[in-house]
Amino acid sequence: MSNLTSSVGIGPEANGNNFMGSSVDNENKNPQSANSAPATPVSMSLVQVREKLKNVKGKRYWRSVDELANTQEFQAAVEREFPAAAQEWVDPVSRRGFMKLMGASMALAGLAGCAKQPDEPIYPYVKAPEDLVLGKPNYFATAFPFATGALPTLIKADSFRPIKVDGNPEHPYNVGSSDVFAQGSLLDLYDPDRSQKSTYDGEERQFTEFAQSLRHAATESKDGTGIYFLSATVTSPTLARQWSEVQKAFPKAKLVQYDPAVAGTALTGSTSTQYALADADVIVSLDADFLSGATYPGFHKLVRDYATRRKSPGTLNRLYAIESSTTTTGMKAEHRLGLRASEIPAFTAALAAAVGASGASAPSYSWTAEQQKFLASLAKDLKAHAGKSAVIPGLYQDPSVTALAAAINQALGNTGKTVLVSSQPVNPLPSDQIADIKALVADLNAGKVDWLVMLNTNPIYNAPADLEFASAFNKAKITAHLGSHLDETGQIADWHIPAAHSLESWSDARAYDGTVSIVQPLIDPLYSGKTSHHVFQALLNQPLLSPYDAVRETAKTSIKGDFETGWRKALHDGWIDGTAFDATKTSTDVAIKGQVPTPSSKDAIEIIFRPDPNVYDGRYSNVGWLQELPKPVTNLSWDNAAIVSGATLTKLGVEEDDILEITVNGRKVKAPVIVAPGHADNSVTVYLGYGRQFAGRVGSGAGFNAYLIRSTDAPFYATGSVKKIEGKWGLAVTKSHFQDHRGEKFGQQGNGNNSLEADEAIGERGIIRYATLDEYKQHPGFANEGEGHEKTEMGTSMFPNWNYTEGNAWGLSIDMNSCTGCNACIVGCYAENNIAVVGKQQVRIGRNMQWLRIDTYFEGDLSAPRAHFQPMTCQHCENAPCEQVCPVGATIHTPEGLNSMVYNRCVGTRYCSNNCPYKVRRFNFLLFSDFETESLKLMRNPDVSVRSRGVMEKCSYCVQRIQAVKIESDKENRTIRDGEIQTACQQACPAQAITFGNLNDRNSRVAKLRADERTYQVLADINTRPRTTYVAAVINPNSELEESPVEHAPAKG
Amino acid sequence: MAQIFDRNSNALARMSLVLTGLIVIALGVTLDQLQRSPWVTRQGQRADQPVPFSHKHHVQGLGLQCQYCHTTVEKSSYAGIPPTKTCMNCHSQIWTNAQLLEPVRQSWATGKSINWTRVHDLPDFAYFNHEIHVNKGMGCATCHGRVDQMPLMYAQNTLQMEWCLDCHRNPSKNIRPTSQIYNMAWEKPSSERPVWCAVKDGKNDAPTAQSVDCVTKDPKDSGPQVALMQTAADKGMATDAPAAMLPAALNYQKFDSQDALGHFLVKQYKIRTPHDLTSCEVCHR
Repeated sequence: MSNLTSSVGIGPEANGNNFMGSSVDNENKNPQSANSAPATPVSMSLVQVREKLKNVKGKRYWRSVDELANTQEFQAAVEREFPAAAQEWVDPVSRRGFMKLMGASMALAGLAGCAKQPDEPIYPYVKAPEDLVLGKPNYFATAFPFATGALPTLIKADSFRPIKVDGNPEHPYNVGSSDVFAQGSLLDLYDPDRSQKSTYDGEERQFTEFAQSLRHAATESKDGTGIYFLSATVTSPTLARQWSEVQKAFPKAKLVQYDPAVAGTALTGSTSTQYALADADVIVSLDADFLSGATYPGFHKLVRDYATRRKSPGTLNRLYAIESSTTTTGMKAEHRLGLRASEIPAFTAALAAAVGASGASAPSYSWTAEQQKFLASLAKDLKAHAGKSAVIPGLYQDPSVTALAAAINQALGNTGKTVLVSSQPVNPLPSDQIADIKALVADLNAGKVDWLVMLNTNPIYNAPADLEFASAFNKAKITAHLGSHLDETGQIADWHIPAAHSLESWSDARAYDGTVSIVQPLIDPLYSGKTSHHVFQALLNQPLLSPYDAVRETAKTSIKGDFETGWRKALHDGWIDGTAFDATKTSTDVAIKGQVPTPSSKDAIEIIFRPDPNVYDGRYSNVGWLQELPKPVTNLSWDNAAIVSGATLTKLGVEEDDILEITVNGRKVKAPVIVAPGHADNSVTVYLGYGRQFAGRVGSGAGFNAYLIRSTDAPFYATGSVKKIEGKWGLAVTKSHFQDHRGEKFGQQGNGNNSLEADEAIGERGIIRYATLDEYKQHPGFANEGEGHEKTEMGTSMFPNWNYTEGNAWGLSIDMNSCTGCNACIVGCYAENNIAVVGKQQVRIGRNMQWLRIDTYFEGDLSAPRAHFQPMTCQHCENAPCEQVCPVGATIHTPEGLNSMVYNRCVGTRYCSNNCPYKVRRFNFLLFSDFETESLKLMRNPDVSVRSRGVMEKCSYCVQRIQAVKIESDKENRTIRDGEIQTACQQACPAQAITFGNLNDRNSRVAKLRADERTYQVLADINTRPRTTYVAAVINPNSELEESPVEHAPAKG
Repeated sequence: MAQIFDRNSNALARMSLVLTGLIVIALGVTLDQLQRSPWVTRQGQRADQPVPFSHKHHVQGLGLQCQYCHTTVEKSSYAGIPPTKTCMNCHSQIWTNAQLLEPVRQSWATGKSINWTRVHDLPDFAYFNHEIHVNKGMGCATCHGRVDQMPLMYAQNTLQMEWCLDCHRNPSKNIRPTSQIYNMAWEKPSSERPVWCAVKDGKNDAPTAQSVDCVTKDPKDSGPQVALMQTAADKGMATDAPAAMLPAALNYQKFDSQDALGHFLVKQYKIRTPHDLTSCEVCHR
């Protein structure tokens, strides 16, 4: 087992050079010095790890395989505040040179403080917009179109510049929540690498010239022969209407939709299925990753409904997950069965047979005893909850799984109760995308294509490899590309037209529940971008009709009553009333077509293709926030990887970060390997969307291109082979970051390691506390019982206590049972707080700047772990260790209990971070914030300082929002209402796991949660008195499946 | 060997030690003074502006109310610089050929902004908010000085942090009735010019500006009267209810010093405590 941090020794002076480092670093030099780890730990093999785990009683949590094995590298990492080299001087300046500079700057430092501010100009409006109050944001309702269903959004605009994307709080579908893609779309809008002009053959041209020549060509052909459109999945009803009009005028013109993450899935079907999880006691996921992100349709509602049932132990649901790739859905499940992807259809068929679904018969397959037991218990549990359960099929599975799941739901009587089938699709033009693109390539090769117009799609990069799209592409007479970036396709297309962002254009789209939202522009196109609406309209009778008029035209069919009133109301509310799907109760005719495919041989290596949880199919490659975001489960940022199980890693004889060559049907790609605990054996998951050549300054060159081995016949999983090749990749994994080291004499365990993440495995600190439902019933106070879990009410401190009995006392509560680790909060925090992106090399040395991280604690066996997701951010301790060590008073306590940073006082000693037991402080080692790029200036939140080099920063509980509400309430002479202040993370959270409010207000939700018996504080025993508290999880396992019950309450010390 | 230094050198050495000390102190004092000097703070300096706009003429001479131009001072952090349109409201009728106004007409014709130089320029890491100050009894003149007497605009105060804190530590020394916010000539109450204030009954949740009524003439003698140079209500500014609507039974209290009035208003306006007001996150985030 390799350790990632161990391979990080980059920088010219990896060995030593401590003058920038803290004293801790110096101690580390000498293993005999004060920190003295117990005995030099020995690296363990995987077999030994397993052995070790067998003997472990009680609950043990671990964050990475290294941690579990307690390797030397891990120990070394624990002993550092930041990972290796994080504190080193990496600039090419010698120590002597540095001292010279230092001396000079010291001399000038005093003077620099007196520098005069430069004159600042004011440019007032010539005519001010009527409704604009400078300094106050405006909010506009619109929608974020996405292939899995649009997300209704509410955009915050400062002086008509969109500066924050959030869910629409009034919309019945998402009730204000959002996801990483929607949040990241803001940076996508302001991406400086967006294409900025229309070109033909590299020369600048006007869009009208393109429109005219396209129109001319179409008219010449009379019936549209030879005119082909290749588009991303059409999400807009207006675009669909425009297309049908184009077809009327030019019946032979063809539209092909192809979205690599959508093609071949149930999303392209002509019906849509919704799940009402609020009514489901038992939920079964058949490779359906519906809790980790908007890649699954209906994510926001599914998570909210799922989480609502988990707020109170009295209403717990039970989630079973059968999955091939490790996802947060599986990790949240009470019972998870890791199966290879090709086994899942057979398992589903067996399950269908076991619950008595009509027409289903179990194929013969040799299931292991464990799998059989799982199947039997699952079937029994489902039957016991007939009508109150839901079986959710995965998108990236054989179509038989979808059909069988429908049959199971039908047999259980769930259809019409928890499973609602609508006869309408979310996306208006359902089609067989894979067949269509195959036909397109055939036509291209046959020379039938005169015009190939590509709309918001990038087939050169992401078309299935077996189609050899690039060579077919050259056979089209004229190619045109409408896209936001000059991407792989845009580079070689004859015409390139910059596409308008969804925040720049008029359109419409349907959410998962069917409601139609109007997409309205928040800003004029920055680079005079156009939309697909413009292109289709160019072929119609009124070629210059604007998308605005086209969208209004479509809305006339759905808005009832007076149109102008209804239109204004739809724009204001963000959706058109009465357009939600009539979720029919009709039983769908469930026909299980064809044979359920038999699983591949157990020794064959299966390659699983999934869209990336951060950059999706590659369309968000150039969004730095999303690139840097650690992926759920693996905590990998800036790359994709070949994700395997520990057993497969051993079998292949490789270590993490080694490079594998993956071969599928003779096509090869090189990929770094990484372990995901619980991944199916003999399977490799590769995420799509990486290996971009022309993504832009952020995304180009990150990861490897998995499309190169993906073909039309096996778009979701294929059998292939892997072999190790020379070299290391250099992955950036954030898992082992932020481990604390503290001296032995302060540690209660006496092993010198009392840290947050690292030490949970080595010495229990009760960072994760949970119980099963039965345990909870016996010990309702389990979270605060037992050794090490006692509630600490330490009034004693050598520092004067603050008095918080009056006014506001801010606090945050995080529900561990609800959090699914989807990362929406982190991206929301990026946007709200102007957080910098640092780049892969900086992440590798532990300098990533996210104020909020989601710690993933695994528990149990390496092959079948359970995981706990713990959002970890500044705890706003009442007795904060950071404040006590700051020599310049740059981090101070406010009367309302915030632990506040004053950036312009900070001189960058980093003592605070050193002393923070939660490791939530982030230091600007270099000038990470971009002060130069013009487009990014428009994006920044004007209420938050942009931090420069040498400044410490951290979560502020969104103090700018607190201040804004305080001013408003002070003006009105009233107290702040509960819920009036929302932190950015809280606002984004689809699971409503985060609650912020005033602890002094007894009726506030946060005060009630704090009084809950399950609430605990992390590391409360060191008397930090954190303001952030966690609600311990209670899970609801099936007693039949529960393995030898773990020793629990009272918890072990 | 002969001595290199004779006895006199001792005195020299002592003197140079003292001198060094003095130089260090002098340097410190100089830098400290420099830092506070108008050279750095631009206090009192009149910046070159494209149009020599006179507040004196417009405010004192013509009686324009502050909010005619600075429209958002009560509802936003930013008081607002008037758009060219505001100038042209009058100057399309009067002084239409004045040479001085050429940049204004130019702006109006071309649609390009007039390029002013900011006079009150806080550092970007200080988040000042006009609305809360104006709504809680801080008059314009308290910070900006007698703008009605400034032919050319300049900063009356340093706008340095110590100046902000001076008031945040003790707002009562500057606070005034909200009806007097825009009164440039307001003077602190004294025994010659007392102020009578009354609290309107009971509604605690009433916005600040309406909960307290203050007058400058003894209400027993002449009946309640709103103490204003102009009638506030006509201009739609933060004000007490119009005089006519005042219930007669208000219990007026007489104040003849700023200290007394300040403490009364701080309590009535629910001004946060100095402890709260001097907390860093109030202005820095």
